[in-house]
Amino acid sequence: MQGFALYPFDPPGDSSALRTGLRRWLAEHQPQDDVVRRANCWASFDPDFSRALGAAGYIGMTLPARYGGGERHPLERYVVIEELLAAGAPVGAHWIADRQTGPLILRYGSEEQRERYLPGIARGETYACIGLSEPGAGSDLASVRTTARETAEGWRINGQKIWTTGAHLSHIMLALVRTEEGSERNAGLSQLLIDLDTPGITIRPIIDMAGHHDFNEIFFDDVLVPHAALVGERGQGWKQVTAELGLERSGPERYLSSHALFAALIDAAGPDPAPALAVLIGELAAEMWTLRQLSMSTAAKLAAGEDPMVEASVVKELGNAFEQEMPRRVQAVVECGWDDPDDLARLLRALLIASPSFSLRGGTREVIRGIIARGLGLR
Amino acid sequence: MSAAREMLCDTARAVFADAQEGGIAPIETAGFGLLLVSEADGGFGGDWGDANAVLRIAGVAVPDLPVTDLILSGLAPVPDALRAAATVGLMAGAAGQALGLSIEHVNTRQQFGRPLGKFQAVQQSLAVLACEVAALDAAAAAMAARLDATGLDAEAADFEIAAAKLRANRAVGVVTAIAHQVHGAIGFTREYDLHRVTIPLMRWRSMHGSDAYWAERLGRQVAGLGGRGLWEALTARAE
Ligand SMILES: Cc1cc2nc3c(=O)[nH]c(=O)nc-3n(C[C@H](O)[C@H](O)[C@H](O)COP(=O)(O)OP(=O)(O)OC[C@H]3O[C@@H](n4cnc5c(N)ncnc54)[C@H](O)[C@@H]3O)c2cc1C
Repeated sequence: MQGFALYPFDPPGDSSALRTGLRRWLAEHQPQDDVVRRANCWASFDPDFSRALGAAGYIGMTLPARYGGGERHPLERYVVIEELLAAGAPVGAHWIADRQTGPLILRYGSEEQRERYLPGIARGETYACIGLSEPGAGSDLASVRTTARETAEGWRINGQKIWTTGAHLSHIMLALVRTEEGSERNAGLSQLLIDLDTPGITIRPIIDMAGHHDFNEIFFDDVLVPHAALVGERGQGWKQVTAELGLERSGPERYLSSHALFAALIDAAGPDPAPALAVLIGELAAEMWTLRQLSMSTAAKLAAGEDPMVEASVVKELGNAFEQEMPRRVQAVVECGWDDPDDLARLLRALLIASPSFSLRGGTREVIRGIIARGLGLR
Repeated sequence: MSAAREMLCDTARAVFADAQEGGIAPIETAGFGLLLVSEADGGFGGDWGDANAVLRIAGVAVPDLPVTDLILSGLAPVPDALRAAATVGLMAGAAGQALGLSIEHVNTRQQFGRPLGKFQAVQQSLAVLACEVAALDAAAAAMAARLDATGLDAEAADFEIAAAKLRANRAVGVVTAIAHQVHGAIGFTREYDLHRVTIPLMRWRSMHGSDAYWAERLGRQVAGLGGRGLWEALTARAE
């Protein structure tokens, strides 16, 4: 990876018209959420909003029309999601299904799975969660121990997933499980698409340090799912998950989660900020602008059918650093009390508390740097 | 990269190699002063993307020669912001070279019975360095795209020039620190090539606008746009 290969971001059609249309739609349909819900808005669940967004054609945009999709180019979808994030729209309910589960089902799923799940995803009605992490499998994902045994009636699942974001609000989980008895590490893993109302599944909340219920632990006690729950090829789960992570890591959410704070900072600073504040705003703006270029180039590489694992990791690494630094630097420069009731203070507090998770979820900083180092040929 | 730009880069590499001995003369003779002059005026008719590609090579091969002045001499008058923009190209090249030298070094130098690059601490440092180089390249390319879209109008590209020079400046600290750290003592010698890119990087950081200069300027521009206005401007300027 000598030099980051830059891919021109060139969506077909008139992307500024697409942007304007969506902005107009949002002006009418975006709920008047509290400003704190607008930060980190891909964690804000609002099924009514998701349904309306789906009906307007802004979910499942790249899926074929026969599954309810919009047959749009992936870069058109990129334009839409960056607008949604910049506006702080509550996209959490459908986020994972739209970003990764839908595309994965389209790519690896059976015709039956596509017909069964994709239309609901595109309507903004079917929500998905990611079943990767387990108590013993965090960074070391290949040590997954949840098993699925093939029986005459279907797959019997036993084990536990943890940290599963939104499982309590989701309909399906795309889970990485061990289907081959005695297999080790990344061999013998498969992906199963599990309906979360199947008997034997227990979902328990884990309250995070902000006091929110976003993630969960999930227990599988002799859960029986049909043979048809297998996604893609038996034993190819690792390869499929790698593709899924490429989708998970490359998007603009890796630098736009804290945008509400930046916008509030700019507004609070007014048109003639003190020098220290102007410097801070300038530095943050330069970083954000740069990150947007990297993110768009990565999206363009993905859209060209290439594997952007390393580039996506660069975006995630720099994006996480930007978003973690931003609230810290704002706190260092702006005089505001921890408990002040104004928007800026509340956003600042919320993001200071939320931001440690940015470099954990979707791959820790150390894991991400390891991927980049591999791209450099060091591993 | 287009075939024409590929050829231009091949020429630049060959000519700049001669210039390492002969000074700026071979670069002048090869016509790099005409790079940005339109074909109608007897020039090469290159765009900023071409200039950026050539400057990246100059930043590595001939960091001490006034290649920037030569290339900009085709335009008149030259606002200082364009000198800043040109410096970003030099910096992108030098930073990329610092990364390349570092990778080569950690793959060959052995300690504790293994190449340094096999140690996780070294890998993680170089990943951070690579991210800075990627950011710098992306900033330089996006600035070039804006300059070309505006016909090299430095005022119309004020946001992008400010953001790119600032981002390049900020990369210098990280790039030079990590590159030297992973090299150990050999990188601190006159004989070894690392200083040929790290000292120029340090110098270019203070030339044509320090971090504080561009940050305050950009910050004032963004403050004038307002929170929502920033997003609208960012998207409109690139479309
Ligand atoms: C908000 C949030 C939401 C999440 N949502 C989901 C979800 O929806 N689905 C899901 O499956 N998972 C989810 N996760 C889990 C996430 O993927 C894991 O937290 C992550 O993979 C790290 O695993 P761990 O927490 O067990 O940490 P560990 O693996 O125990 O790591 C702890 C620390 O040690 C470091 N470390 C570990 N191994 C090494 C090594 N070999 N070299 C150097 N450093 C190392 C790590 O980088 C980290 O800094 C979520 C996590 C968070 C915080």
